[in-house]
Amino acid sequence: MSSKTEETGKAGVIVAPETAHPVEKISHAVLDDLLYNIVHDLLVKVHRDEKTARANTAAIKVEKLAMNAIDGATTDPKPDVEIETDAAIYKDGKVMLKGNPLKTTKEILCPRCHLPRLLHPTDGKGARKPDPGVIYCKKHPYIDKPGYDIYGQTWVAPGPGRGKKKKDQKLDPNDPSSPAPVEGSAKDRPPNVLSFPSATCSKCKRCILVTRLNNHMGSCIGNSGRNASRAAAQKISNGSNAGSQNNDNTPPGSQKGTPLPGSRAASPRKRDVDEFDEDAEESDPSNPKKKKLKLNALNKKVILKAKSPAIPGPNKKDKPKGSSMLNVEQKVDDDAAKDSTVQVLPKKQTPILKGLSPAKKIKLGPAKPPLPSPAGKKGKRDRDMESESSGTMSSPPR
Amino acid sequence: MAARPAIPASPKNHKVKAPQPGQPMYGCEHIQLLFNQGQAAIDTSIQHYKAILRSIFDTTPLISQTAKLTDGPTVTSLTPTYLCLQCPFTLTEEDRARHGTKKSHRFYVDSRSGALYCQMCDDIVWDPTFEELRLRKMGTGTFSTTRKRKHEDMFEASDPVRDNPTYISSNTTAASCKANGLRGIYNAGATCYQNVVLQSFLHNPILRNFYLSDGHQSSNCDVPHCLSCAMDDMFQDFYALENTNGYTAANILSGFWISEKKAFENLVTTKEQDAHEFFQFLAEELHERNGDGKRPEIGSEHSCNCVIHQTYYGKLQSTTTCQNCNGVTNQVQSFLDLSLPLENLSQKRGKKGSSRPGGILTLQECLDEEYIKSDKCEYRCHNCNSMQQARRQTSIKRLPNVLSIQLKRFEYKQGRNERAAKIDTPVQFPLQLNMLPYTNRARSQDVRDNYELARSCTYDLLTVVVHVGEIDTGHYMSYCRVGDQWFAFNDHKVELAQKSDVLNSKAYLLFYIVRSLS
Ligand SMILES: [Zn+2]
Ligand SMILES: [Zn+2]
Ligand SMILES: [Zn+2]
Ligand SMILES: [Zn+2]
Ligand SMILES: [Zn+2]
Ligand SMILES: [Zn+2]
Ligand SMILES: [Zn+2]
Repeated sequence: MSSKTEETGKAGVIVAPETAHPVEKISHAVLDDLLYNIVHDLLVKVHRDEKTARANTAAIKVEKLAMNAIDGATTDPKPDVEIETDAAIYKDGKVMLKGNPLKTTKEILCPRCHLPRLLHPTDGKGARKPDPGVIYCKKHPYIDKPGYDIYGQTWVAPGPGRGKKKKDQKLDPNDPSSPAPVEGSAKDRPPNVLSFPSATCSKCKRCILVTRLNNHMGSCIGNSGRNASRAAAQKISNGSNAGSQNNDNTPPGSQKGTPLPGSRAASPRKRDVDEFDEDAEESDPSNPKKKKLKLNALNKKVILKAKSPAIPGPNKKDKPKGSSMLNVEQKVDDDAAKDSTVQVLPKKQTPILKGLSPAKKIKLGPAKPPLPSPAGKKGKRDRDMESESSGTMSSPPR
Repeated sequence: MAARPAIPASPKNHKVKAPQPGQPMYGCEHIQLLFNQGQAAIDTSIQHYKAILRSIFDTTPLISQTAKLTDGPTVTSLTPTYLCLQCPFTLTEEDRARHGTKKSHRFYVDSRSGALYCQMCDDIVWDPTFEELRLRKMGTGTFSTTRKRKHEDMFEASDPVRDNPTYISSNTTAASCKANGLRGIYNAGATCYQNVVLQSFLHNPILRNFYLSDGHQSSNCDVPHCLSCAMDDMFQDFYALENTNGYTAANILSGFWISEKKAFENLVTTKEQDAHEFFQFLAEELHERNGDGKRPEIGSEHSCNCVIHQTYYGKLQSTTTCQNCNGVTNQVQSFLDLSLPLENLSQKRGKKGSSRPGGILTLQECLDEEYIKSDKCEYRCHNCNSMQQARRQTSIKRLPNVLSIQLKRFEYKQGRNERAAKIDTPVQFPLQLNMLPYTNRARSQDVRDNYELARSCTYDLLTVVVHVGEIDTGHYMSYCRVGDQWFAFNDHKVELAQKSDVLNSKAYLLFYIVRSLS
């Protein structure tokens, strides 16, 4: 502490009374200095983010003007123009600041799309109405509002009785007798209220409500199905923790710390055991009634697929290629919802398809030796299938 | 120690950072003037800045925090001092202006952050050339872009940043400004234990950069139901699509059900399971898909260069000393995570009726117990050729890039009911964790004053997996950090979280990333 700050710390917030003992004064001053440091560190961080963003905005703006000035006449990355704004100078292909960008530059442009950043959330804490005349960068400040997520979305309950009821498991959008996946009409819902989607089982290709997926796959794929699960469950409830002994990755003695798998701990949304059984029986071909039901479901599925470009072909069975082929989503906040209970839209609106073009992937840069050209991969088992469905994909979803 | 020793000028020519599109070339007009005075000015400025950063980050703070006042006495301050860039003086904030007027020195380095203050601007300036040096010093500890990070031998995997430049996260060019990796994952029926682990993978910079740089291309992989392909698809969906709704991890789930890992047979039920076991399952599965294909053997020193090994694996060394002949046996084994028992410690706490209310433990106490203290054991000594009493001490030989820690909250009790019990004792854990005391370096040499070494062993909290509620009916959620912002992931829901939410949670799994990579 300097001679001046012996009485109090630098922040001057935590101050001992004048009559206090010298030791007490010092401890107050120390505490006050520590408080100052915390605030100082925080400010330096925020200052860096803000000032860098504004400085870069000034640079982006003046570069844009320079590019406009040459009007694409040259491909020279450093065109020979000189442009000056209030905040920066463009000269010899370099940008130099003029003054403090915190004072000269008021908005922040996204370094990627060069659109202005929305600076306040649109809802919840600290919300402000965005200027309707401005097209903002798509990266918005996150929303902080109880009951809503960072994007301002909320969800309807997964089904009547919060997934406890059996009915909503056989979600079939084309069967009028099948219950609506969600309570209430979809039309009553504002657009930021989402419903739970369905996904296609990689084995039986049935469309399963996501909240049922684990149970379904347990019985449909299982580790050879229900019996293995049963056996595993049996083994577990016998208290044998043998399985995890093979796992050497934890230091010795750590295994006892993991919860006993046989604890049968369940999430709030778990299903009852008998439901699980019923699901298993459904795919039992020896039961004709159930079999018919399943076939029925499969037929309907085709219609569903016709609507969706994501068609898993028959020889896709062995290897599901990416969720783009698997997932369909219900979006019910649509007029079409009147006719069918649920309208199925492809999950990916953009016709992006795996393997179709290497450009599809977001890249960090050349990681590995250059990729084989997409054509070179055609020889593969499922390559034809993909090019086949890619035609479907590139046509706009109906 | 007010004046720092002047640094002899090296003959090397330093360079101002080349102009980048969308960025001004200099931090301010005054730095522009400084750099345009010629090569000599550039050289001395950069050399002085490097020397100042070294004295701030690699030596005792006593040096950089001690200033000499113009009127005589030296003072050591708790609050920031300012190190003149143009001469070896360290100044208090009050004295800075006077020094500037007298000597016409205009640039000063803040002793807490290493940031550069410009007196003409009367503001901190963020100059691309200086800022690059500062970030590199705080990260890898070295100014060089090509040299190894310092204390390389302390780390399990080679430096993923150096070995694969595409791992550098700042180069990420996502498909859209909206695609930011922040999405929930739907609960597919008691699968929240999987979701929390998947989120921890999704927000792990090493794994993210691996998958986004085509580390494992699902279009090039023939393994049926490959879980690494499913991860690849998931990373693409999170970082390339504009979707903000939840993700359906159907491929992960089917890959999981189809997996033939018998070791994890017990996971394969539709009942809620243990997130830690799922983490081990996934790590092992991904190692097999990306690594040497060998199953890591029990207690062995398995070395593999796959992304999972580069990310999570470290090495433990246990030293057993025979109490009879003082013979020493060393054993080294790889670890994926550190499992810390809570039961004994929390019982001890309870008995003592100690000062701390409710028997709160700290993470460091739990680590002390396992990796500093020694315990007694029986062992067969080769020297004595008989069973002997021995002391066994375990410490970390190699630190991983991402340190995963399990707090053993679930204690399996052999008894009538054969049920697992949950230990609810709160364990305080820091945002920043110094792992140096738990390494064998801490024992083998005097590291008290080695600030550089300590800094290279500093970890930042990345993910916290929390189990809420009773063991049978509980639920998993997690907190992940993206940059400086924390998010709470609860199945399909993603919300903003405060640091206090994170630090007050009852952690079950903790993931820390080494500072030089975060
Ligand atoms: Zn943008
Ligand atoms: Zn199925
Ligand atoms: Zn000076
Ligand atoms: Zn300046
Ligand atoms: Zn694969
Ligand atoms: Zn490996
Ligand atoms: Zn002996």
